[in-house]
Amino acid sequence: MTLLQWRTRGESQRGRGRPGRGPRGWLPTPGVIAASLFLVVLMAAVLVPSLFSPLDPLRADASASLDAPSAEHWFGTDRAGRDVYARVVHGARASLGVGLGATALALVAGLIIGVVAGLAPKMIDAAVSRSIEVLMAFPEFLLALVVIAVVGPGETGLLVAVASAAMPAYARVARNQTLVVRNAGYVRAATVLGVPPWRSALRHIVPGTLGPLLVMAILGVGTAIVSAAGLSFLGLGPAPPSPEWGVILSEGRNTLSTAWWVAVFPGLAIMAAVVSIGTVGRHLKTGGAVA
Amino acid sequence: MPTTRAERSQSQLPQRAPRRRLGAAMALTAAAALLAGCAAAPAADDDTNTVTFGIEGANLGSGHMDIHSTQLDVSSLVLRNVFDSLVGQTADGQFVPWLAKSWEISDDQLQYTFTLRQDVTFHDGEPFNAEAVKANFDHIVDPETASAQAASLIGYAEEDGYYVGTEVLDEYTVRVDFSQPYAPFLQGLSLPQLGFYSPKALAEHKDDLKAGGPGVTVGTGPFVLSEYTPDQELRFTANDEYAWPAEGTEHQGRAASDELVIRVLPESASRVGALNSGEVDVIADVTPTMVQEVGDGFDVTAVELPGIPYSLYINEAHGVFADPLVRQAFRLGFDLDAAVEGVYDGQYARAWSVLAPTTPNSYEPAVEGTWSYDTDKANALLDQAGWTERDADGYRTKDGVRLGAVWTAWTPVPDDRAALADIIQSDLRDIGFQLARQVVEPAQYNELYATRAFDLTDWGFSSPDADVLRSHLRTGGFQTVSTVSKPEIDELLDQAVATSDPAERERLYQEVQRWNNEQVLIVPLVVPSEITVASTSVKGLTFDLYGRASFYGATVER
Amino acid sequence: MPPSSPDGGRAAKRVDTRRSASQTSLSAPPTSLVARALGRLGGMLLVMWGATTAGFIALRAIPGDPVDVMLGVTASVGESVRQQIRVEWGLDEPPVVQYFTVLGRLVTGELDSYQLRQPVMTVIADQAMPTLQLTGLALVFALGLATVGILLARLPALRPMVSTFELALVSSPTFWIGLVLLAVFGYQLRWFPTAASAGLPALVLPALTLALPLTGIVSQVFRQGIGHAESQPFALTARARGISDVRLLSRHSLRHAAGETLTLSGYLVGSLLGGAVLVETVFARQGLGAVTVRAILGRDLPMVLALIALAAAVFAVINLLVDLLVARIDPRVRMAG
Repeated sequence: MTLLQWRTRGESQRGRGRPGRGPRGWLPTPGVIAASLFLVVLMAAVLVPSLFSPLDPLRADASASLDAPSAEHWFGTDRAGRDVYARVVHGARASLGVGLGATALALVAGLIIGVVAGLAPKMIDAAVSRSIEVLMAFPEFLLALVVIAVVGPGETGLLVAVASAAMPAYARVARNQTLVVRNAGYVRAATVLGVPPWRSALRHIVPGTLGPLLVMAILGVGTAIVSAAGLSFLGLGPAPPSPEWGVILSEGRNTLSTAWWVAVFPGLAIMAAVVSIGTVGRHLKTGGAVA
Repeated sequence: MPTTRAERSQSQLPQRAPRRRLGAAMALTAAAALLAGCAAAPAADDDTNTVTFGIEGANLGSGHMDIHSTQLDVSSLVLRNVFDSLVGQTADGQFVPWLAKSWEISDDQLQYTFTLRQDVTFHDGEPFNAEAVKANFDHIVDPETASAQAASLIGYAEEDGYYVGTEVLDEYTVRVDFSQPYAPFLQGLSLPQLGFYSPKALAEHKDDLKAGGPGVTVGTGPFVLSEYTPDQELRFTANDEYAWPAEGTEHQGRAASDELVIRVLPESASRVGALNSGEVDVIADVTPTMVQEVGDGFDVTAVELPGIPYSLYINEAHGVFADPLVRQAFRLGFDLDAAVEGVYDGQYARAWSVLAPTTPNSYEPAVEGTWSYDTDKANALLDQAGWTERDADGYRTKDGVRLGAVWTAWTPVPDDRAALADIIQSDLRDIGFQLARQVVEPAQYNELYATRAFDLTDWGFSSPDADVLRSHLRTGGFQTVSTVSKPEIDELLDQAVATSDPAERERLYQEVQRWNNEQVLIVPLVVPSEITVASTSVKGLTFDLYGRASFYGATVER
Repeated sequence: MPPSSPDGGRAAKRVDTRRSASQTSLSAPPTSLVARALGRLGGMLLVMWGATTAGFIALRAIPGDPVDVMLGVTASVGESVRQQIRVEWGLDEPPVVQYFTVLGRLVTGELDSYQLRQPVMTVIADQAMPTLQLTGLALVFALGLATVGILLARLPALRPMVSTFELALVSSPTFWIGLVLLAVFGYQLRWFPTAASAGLPALVLPALTLALPLTGIVSQVFRQGIGHAESQPFALTARARGISDVRLLSRHSLRHAAGETLTLSGYLVGSLLGGAVLVETVFARQGLGAVTVRAILGRDLPMVLALIALAAAVFAVINLLVDLLVARIDPRVRMAG
């Protein structure tokens, strides 16, 4: 997260530095078009999975254990004889759900904490800022691991853990952004005119802060999906047999030498989703072709 | 090569300013030191005959190096090399002299008197004698030891135990007293858990036993623990003094090899990989699927484990399982034969009874073939039990309540068991039974287990004695899932533990197995085998009743 | 403590006058360096204390009896023995007393792990080397591969390819890369051992796994840094002086970009350590990552607290070093004061 966020900022600054970019830059490259299409397909799979795979992701067939990819089973079968393609398709909902949900949660929590810290007296701001720095000192994944140890594994735990790990970055940007907006002329003017601080907070600061945060969030969804998959891989995600990409992947890790397909396809799905989100997100941000 | 890459990337930086060059040089030195550090693998002396053994080894390093306190199979597997027992057990289940030359059991079966060998010394030079036996048994039952298995093997319990104490009669004679007859005692004595530490180690390193290590894990066995890196490697050197194997052992005297190296390789695939590449000579804990990955030129040994097969334990006091009809329908509702065949590739046998066929003097073959996948019968039973409605998802309901149960397991769930569960779950859905699965961490599992707050759980419990049923079925038993009191079965189990006549014990345990088969409290699924694969260059490897490799007579021909 | 992410740092510099005062003091005369180092040390201890305390509170909140954890799932142990263990480990004391006991023992190095029954310091010391080897080699790989990527990307024809590849690397879960490498080079081609043994060959695949996502990141940042540098007036001046492209790159732009990359170090080390958790799991290797997972899953409170304190210390030290190094490498930071 930290890095992706940094990258967006770097680019946004560069973009700002060169305002003369022509409308040509808005034209999406083939890569962006492909990524957008893939995301559309993915959303369709989230909403109506049966559209893509009529097979039941939970239907086991002991006689078809670890069958290689074929016309019948495009991605092969797993140890219990379940169709891996159906599981990957049906897993999109859980994986993207956690990615989107955790990011939204992190954004809202980060926004509230950041804005409050930015407006609060120095003491409180310092305390919150130091706490955020302490949290940011830890690798995001380790933070998520500690949180899930506290809240317990499962779908909710996964959501909360991934969100908590991403939250400090949002809080920090929200706080800094709040300071920028607060010191802007129009807000100062409003304060001088007697507008209560909470009101300018709602009217000016939150909207002014939200922009950069939303940009971070688009790319954050990708990171959240990867983090969630990592935790599921360690066995801390949704309970079996629910088809979640990280869960399917971890089911395949011990059959790697005999049946590579169980682990490889869900991994490809994660990669494709995150690449697409990254491509589209960067395009939306820079307002131009991806370098 | 990584080093050249490092140099190249560093040399891209400007070279003029001396302080920067220093920085680059330091980075290089650090990288070189790292590489040197990992390249320095210990090289074996060419003259030393070393046998290398790869094991799964999970949790051995988590305080399970103390043979008196641990309950893990891996501890027995590894520590058998260091610890000897009073009695040995042959492949056909007979007890033979080992550190005890002979023993006598009093007529009331309350006193066991052992005459010890007089030529046995511990690795630290201490003599093995009656005092050593007493010190060890005292250590096992000491509450501070927190023994998770040895104490129950010796017959000790805080309340209603069998073990009373150990008396030293003279230097080489020792007597163990019981409050009531305890038939499984010799069985327990033959296991590594009741092996003997040097009294000096017990006195001086009491707090270090669980962590273990050279100078701490000191016994009388054929190998001396010489180096220990937790969760990584154990190195043993042959005990040159050794001359006291159990009676009937083919190899005699000092161990056949000079050195035994046990490497901890947690992933099944990595063990097979290491075997195929010649990094190790023998591997244990091989899964059925991985057997096929083993190349040519290897010996595969599979030993069906005695004790309780891998089974489902039904909590009859909880939810829908209170109804015997539902329990029966549940058992008929999944295709166990197909599931076991599919998941284990025919390497493991489907189980019929709550005891594995290899459990000495106890198996009841009459229960075989009494229950098989039958959806018609299962549906009829559920209809009869009143679960006649179906909801939108196709599950049966009664008075608006869905027919279902939660299977609670602890992390990590091995793949094979997860796949088995996936199939069972999928099959049960067809008869309208919703089997949900809950996988929790061990700590949370223990909390749920303490109050039996679940419908269904699973484990396998290997043991060479049918008395293992007592802790699994007797009212209030540690592994008894049901909280419903059943005096008739308690009586059978108590009778069996006090009976030393093998035929009578067999009859009693067969009755218990038939009873469980009718009541459907424990649903046996699979009889696991301990699969060991050895390179054909390994000679003299033997196996105990549990299928555990014994390295005393093993050498590698290079 | 300074921000570990360049983003926050930059934003702070622009906005927060309190913060920017401390940032510019980097270039203050060396005499104040000792005072600054002492101040930093104090801050570092404060952070370690805060993190450890938060960790203690969090782990105390977890349901589950540590005694169960110590014994394992199938232990048949009576209640009085359990009580005995509780007393032995001080678990019967009120939480506040436990907190101070644990903290005291942590400081004196006498804290024992519940699971491993060894002093946590010993465990960390034993397990640090495998992780250092892994992350060290991964860093070497990442920097080497990133350099290759940067050089390739200078050819306009290859740039989109390099860029796509970078994106794919950054977007892939570390553990999946590990599984794919293991499947291809371990099981299919058998080039590298799949077993977690000692020795360099066994280290290659794990280190590569850890390095690949980083390669994508480092190369992206490096390239952007170079692009940024070459759009600066000094590059134009240098070119006007007739300096060759290679010389411009090696003498100016790279040095410039190195400064930017250095500020990323905190993030890189974080990624390496976070990634080590998964890589050590995938390759069944020993190391601090594996210890961390086990400590967290096993509710091994002393071990987790020690690891938290260690992580806080590592990051504080790295941030300090980065600040000092950036000031030396990048002339702009020195002038900025």
